Amino acid sequence: MELPIYFPLGLGALLFGIGLWGALTRTNAVRILMFIELMLNGVNLNLMTFTRYYYPENATGPILTLFVMTVAAAEASIGLAIILQIVRNRGTVEVDKVDLLKG
Amino acid sequence: MTAQYLSFGVLALVTLWSAYKVVTARLITHAALWMALSFTSVSGIFLMLQQEFIAALQVLIYAGAITTMIIFAIMLSSIREIRVEPQQQTFGQRIRASGLLAVVVGLVFAAFMTYVYYVSEIPKEAVPDPGLLTVRQVGATLFTRFTVPFEVASILLLLAMIGAIILTAKETE
Repeated sequence: MELPIYFPLGLGALLFGIGLWGALTRTNAVRILMFIELMLNGVNLNLMTFTRYYYPENATGPILTLFVMTVAAAEASIGLAIILQIVRNRGTVEVDKVDLLKG
Repeated sequence: MTAQYLSFGVLALVTLWSAYKVVTARLITHAALWMALSFTSVSGIFLMLQQEFIAALQVLIYAGAITTMIIFAIMLSSIREIRVEPQQQTFGQRIRASGLLAVVVGLVFAAFMTYVYYVSEIPKEAVPDPGLLTVRQVGATLFTRFTVPFEVASILLLLAMIGAIILTAKETE
């Protein structure tokens, strides 16, 4: 590949940065879940870049990415179930309104 | 070869623009659709990196399953109808609500990581002539060396499924 390695690595870092920005500014719980997925996607991009550039014959990188995707899917399903339960009990998805334990 | 730069540039622009629109889109269903576009173009970058298996999984799991699940959760519940009322706020509150600090944190992080990559000692060139990693090799490694993590991952998925069913089931007496 003639593309220098810091191009895809920089794209992964930017994707992670945009996800971090969104997760810190937005208060909608479903949207925060989306930003967590975006950040995990940036991490996957980094993993695949290093795999392609330095260990192209090693199957460990794709397998690690596969496990990251598994955890992301499990986290999304559990997170959405918890959010639906919060909506049913409180009638809101804004995370700063769910503050019953706040002192 | 400029075609590589060109295709990477187009894919990177689509990825970053749609990720930006996920943050700024007003409706949450639009944000979910922009997220699907972002995942799809990242899958194109995986194809550029010659990882066909992961590119297919990206389309299947992220753009297919997770986006569909989020849209289903939005549509099937009352999340869609909840509106945020605009409220009067002072200038300092608006600055805080606009998330200036968060923008700075996110972009400083990305700039710092890019700088670290740029100045680090890692070789900038790819390993010459890589043998293509086939799905057969990935599967063989997955079922020999990584059997136990594979089973743990399947147990994790099973637990997530049971947990989601238990959490969303209505309680009946």
